[in-house]
Amino acid sequence: MSAPRRALPAVAAAAGVAGVVAAPYVLPSFAVYLLTLTFIAALLAGSVNLLAGLAGLVSIGHAGIAAAAAYGVAWAAVRDLGIGAQLAVAAALTLAVSVLYALTTMRTSGIVFLMITLALGMTVFGLALKLSSVTGGQNGLTGVRRPEAVEEWWQFYFFTAAVLGACLLALAVISRSPFGLVLRGIRESPSRMTSLGYSVTTAKFAAVVLSGAFAGCAGVLLVWNSEFMSPSVASFPRSALAVVTVILGGTGTLLGPLVGAGIVVAGEYWLSSYVERWQTVLGAVFILVVLFAPRGVVGMIADLTRRSRKEGT
Amino acid sequence: MSLDELALQALNGLSFGALLFLLASGFTLVFGLMKIVNLAHGAFYLVGGYVGIAAYGATRSFLVAVLAGATTAALFGLASERLLLRRVRGQELPEVLLTVGIALIIADACLAVFGGNPRSIPIPGPLSGSVRLGSYAYPAYRLFVIALALAVGVALYLVQHRTRLGALIRAGVDDREIAEAMGINVPRVFTAMFVFGGALAGLAGVVAAGLLTLRPGADTDILLFALVVVVIGGLGSLQGAAVGSALIGLVDAFSKVWVPELSYFAVFAPMAIILMVRPAGLFARSRP
Repeated sequence: MSAPRRALPAVAAAAGVAGVVAAPYVLPSFAVYLLTLTFIAALLAGSVNLLAGLAGLVSIGHAGIAAAAAYGVAWAAVRDLGIGAQLAVAAALTLAVSVLYALTTMRTSGIVFLMITLALGMTVFGLALKLSSVTGGQNGLTGVRRPEAVEEWWQFYFFTAAVLGACLLALAVISRSPFGLVLRGIRESPSRMTSLGYSVTTAKFAAVVLSGAFAGCAGVLLVWNSEFMSPSVASFPRSALAVVTVILGGTGTLLGPLVGAGIVVAGEYWLSSYVERWQTVLGAVFILVVLFAPRGVVGMIADLTRRSRKEGT
Repeated sequence: MSLDELALQALNGLSFGALLFLLASGFTLVFGLMKIVNLAHGAFYLVGGYVGIAAYGATRSFLVAVLAGATTAALFGLASERLLLRRVRGQELPEVLLTVGIALIIADACLAVFGGNPRSIPIPGPLSGSVRLGSYAYPAYRLFVIALALAVGVALYLVQHRTRLGALIRAGVDDREIAEAMGINVPRVFTAMFVFGGALAGLAGVVAAGLLTLRPGADTDILLFALVVVVIGGLGSLQGAAVGSALIGLVDAFSKVWVPELSYFAVFAPMAIILMVRPAGLFARSRP
């Protein structure tokens, strides 16, 4: 029984890739657009999951980092700078904001970490709103254009899928790397890691900055997708949504953010045609997931297969 | 800026700081006892404020408005604690995430019921005038808010340190298990504290309705300030909340005059600096 079981992940991965490639040819363009949104949401959730899953640090302000990258692109695009310059500005802003997040949170953990990231996210949102000479304030920034090579909706879909794939691969590598193990160690017992000679503070700093890089990628995709930038990208519900996506999918699992993003994006679009109060639904989902499914979808599936495997042997 | 203008801005800052203290004291007391970071505190503030405005519209009495707002927010606190938070007691993260869900729902319900327009309370009769300070006339209501915050702060301190109830609470903070073994009904003390924290948030909301305006998003705005205040002061510390509120109120007032576009950042900067120097806040007790 072990051979087919072992082949299962490879088969599933191949089927997944085939499905992603085939999607634009078989699905209506609207469904492909939703898939694009799902991939972007999954990438942002993946960056939250890197911290939450490995180091046990739940950030509820990551939309602020994504927004920094997105504003970088939009700011440069409005000034007619090329793609290279747009990405450079986005990268610099992402790095600056991530370092700020990292410096202020690297000595904290648990709920204090969560509170400070929340305050940071709100500060970014407030700045985006108030610093209107740079951000356009409430009116936002228009005039962003995707790079020519990914201008069409299906091209952008493939591009987003490729970026997400590369990032998931990178996240998987990080998770299994010695650095990933250090983060797990910090989650389990910071004092033991310190006595083993690791600098907990430095590791947390690096983890937040690293996670910020993924959030920045998500921000760039976000602004290229909508070709418009407004403060709402940095708002509290956006950060909260990323957290609920992670928990819903399964904290600490590689595919959890993707599964969670699929459910959230599909839910948002399906529900928004029936109910007006999307934010109430989001709040209710938050409560229900925390109370009844704290391990998330992928976590529960893993539990089930483990149980059936135990019964099988 | 002349000396008089400086004093005026300082008073503006202190009165906003007084409002922040009303909000942050409930937030920090709840954390001190229960170790719950209640992110629905801003939503309690908003719903309390809105209900206060409605009650004022119906009765024309500021006192009724305050009572109605505080009671409503307290009831939301009671429901949140009894129905939801109790199920995950002691698990830090699920507790916080539940309050996020509660905050989102209450804020959205406020939008549905009270609409999206900014609302405020006309300042009640005796407080609507102004007081002469040197060559300037200063709104009496702002001075009233400062006096109210001082009174609430002193009362909270005295209750905490001089009464049997305060002793019960301090026992619950210091060692929950021993307190329970001594026959204290700690879960009931917890519920009472959470309800009281909600009432303080509601009070702050009604007071704020005369000082600022309430609108969708005001809950997260003020929550940011409350978070910054308690992070600076140290989670769970009443004195920390007082010092942090005054500091942030002043920083906010002066930054709005001097660097209006960066006023949000100016509030955040002291928090960042203090976190790098004293990660647990200015008045934190030794934390594990």
